[in-house]
Amino acid sequence: MEQAAAGGKGTVTPLASMFPVNEAQKAAKRVEEKIGEKQKELDCIKEYVTENTNLINLVSRLPDELNHDIMVPFGKAAFFPGRLIHTNEFMVLLGDGYYAERTAKQTVEILTRRGKALDSQVESLMANMKDLKAEASFFDVTASEAAEGLVEIREDYVEENSWEKHSKSDDKNNDKKVAFEDDEYARIMSRLDELEKEELEAEDEEVDAEDDDESAVEQPDAAENDDESDTDEQTDAAESNSENHDNTQPKAKFNQFPHQIYSEIRKPLQQTTAEALSNKYLPQQSITDTSNVFMQTPKSGFNGSKAFTGSIAESADTVSTNSRQQAVTSSQASEPAFDSSKAIIGSIVERADTIPKNSQQQAVTSSQASKPAFDSSKAFTGSVVERTYNLPTSGQDAVSSQSSSSQPSKPVSRFKIRRS
Amino acid sequence: MDSYIQEKIHKFEEFVDGHLKPQLVRAIAERDKVFEQQKIFSDLRRSIENLEKNSVTNLRTMVNLGSEVYMQADVPDAQRIFVDVGLGFHVEFTWTEALNFIALREEKIARQIEEYTRLISSIKARIKLVCEGIRELLQLPAEKSLPQRVF
Repeated sequence: MEQAAAGGKGTVTPLASMFPVNEAQKAAKRVEEKIGEKQKELDCIKEYVTENTNLINLVSRLPDELNHDIMVPFGKAAFFPGRLIHTNEFMVLLGDGYYAERTAKQTVEILTRRGKALDSQVESLMANMKDLKAEASFFDVTASEAAEGLVEIREDYVEENSWEKHSKSDDKNNDKKVAFEDDEYARIMSRLDELEKEELEAEDEEVDAEDDDESAVEQPDAAENDDESDTDEQTDAAESNSENHDNTQPKAKFNQFPHQIYSEIRKPLQQTTAEALSNKYLPQQSITDTSNVFMQTPKSGFNGSKAFTGSIAESADTVSTNSRQQAVTSSQASEPAFDSSKAIIGSIVERADTIPKNSQQQAVTSSQASKPAFDSSKAFTGSVVERTYNLPTSGQDAVSSQSSSSQPSKPVSRFKIRRS
Repeated sequence: MDSYIQEKIHKFEEFVDGHLKPQLVRAIAERDKVFEQQKIFSDLRRSIENLEKNSVTNLRTMVNLGSEVYMQADVPDAQRIFVDVGLGFHVEFTWTEALNFIALREEKIARQIEEYTRLISSIKARIKLVCEGIRELLQLPAEKSLPQRVF
């Protein structure tokens, strides 16, 4: 889970693994302590400042009279009654044991210069403390984010170049693409069928080996499935990626210009997508008569990918994002099936329980309309590259579904936990 | 059993670090304050004796106004001196009266110092006792006393 690969391209790292919560808190505490020290220093200097201003007042007032009656200190514990004389003569310490005899005015000048030095010290200390406070707040935020389970997702920024090439050569071989695409979908569908078979086999085994410790039993199967499916999917995704750019990208471009027209088109498209999605998922759940359903899926999937490109163009994401999304949408056909069927296997014991939940989930995705169509694809394919911020829950969905592709047994339970 | 011992040791250590050591530090700080007092009064006694010896009648000194700025001050009558008797009260004494008072004060301060010293050594002894207790719990061999220096 720590380094779950996002479609084999990026890495998902929980913030907590890089900055453990308690470490971050410790760091924050240390910075707080430093701030406390600085505060003490500052208080001390401020005291000096007030002392200095008081002294300036005193010195400027003393020559007003010829002498002042005072108690002359004699040691620290005794006084003599006496008076100040020569009230315009001051001995001022210059430092290092040297004293200068100054008049009241000159002394005031010296003292104001000292005051300025103190002021600059106060300023520097304040700046220092501001820095430290920023640091402390950063640490606090990091700690809280790590505690919340924020993840960092990294992906290489290589895709864009390849996409640009494709987009350039795009216009010429527009016709070829359709053929490509059909091939592509046929391949994906065949892959899906394979997966379904595997799942069914696994399910049979599961029923036999049914046990309270579900996950333990499932683990080997899952690993098996994983090995194959991961590599295959990756290659699929890669292929579909490069090919899909060709046709989807121009559309995205095109869409950006005639907004009005597009917005009209988009709605029906997305509706169809939603339908397509629900069509696609529901049959898969029942795992009956797969071939027919899947013959359907290619087109609907295709439609869906169109719709998705449109929405991406609308949301003005970056280009690289766009291309990745394509890959995701096309590979979505394979992964979700994988996923949902897994979910069913995992929940054999509580089939009655999970299936309604699953369908509910489906319903949610299809009813999520405009964005969600795009979103749900994220949630299932685990391509949550962006927008983890404003949609934290969907991001989490995605993360867990990612892990589902690598560890099928766990996510099921996670779904249960979340849904119940 | 082992965990019990561990717990016990932990408690002992906590007692030493959280209780006895702060006490020791506080006692030492108090004693330092008293030492300071002692120094102040012995200085004053020496100064008054000096005045007496030179039979000073009037006196000129420099008064610190703060921040090491000094001004001359004149004391017309140095016979009478106001001495701090505690709690912010100052009593007007002649020189001999002041010397008597200072002698009494020094005696009291010496007693206080002795008291604090006894307190400090008892705290130190308690710390040592607890440490020995921890050692016994750990069943370590007793430390050999350092070889005494022979002069």
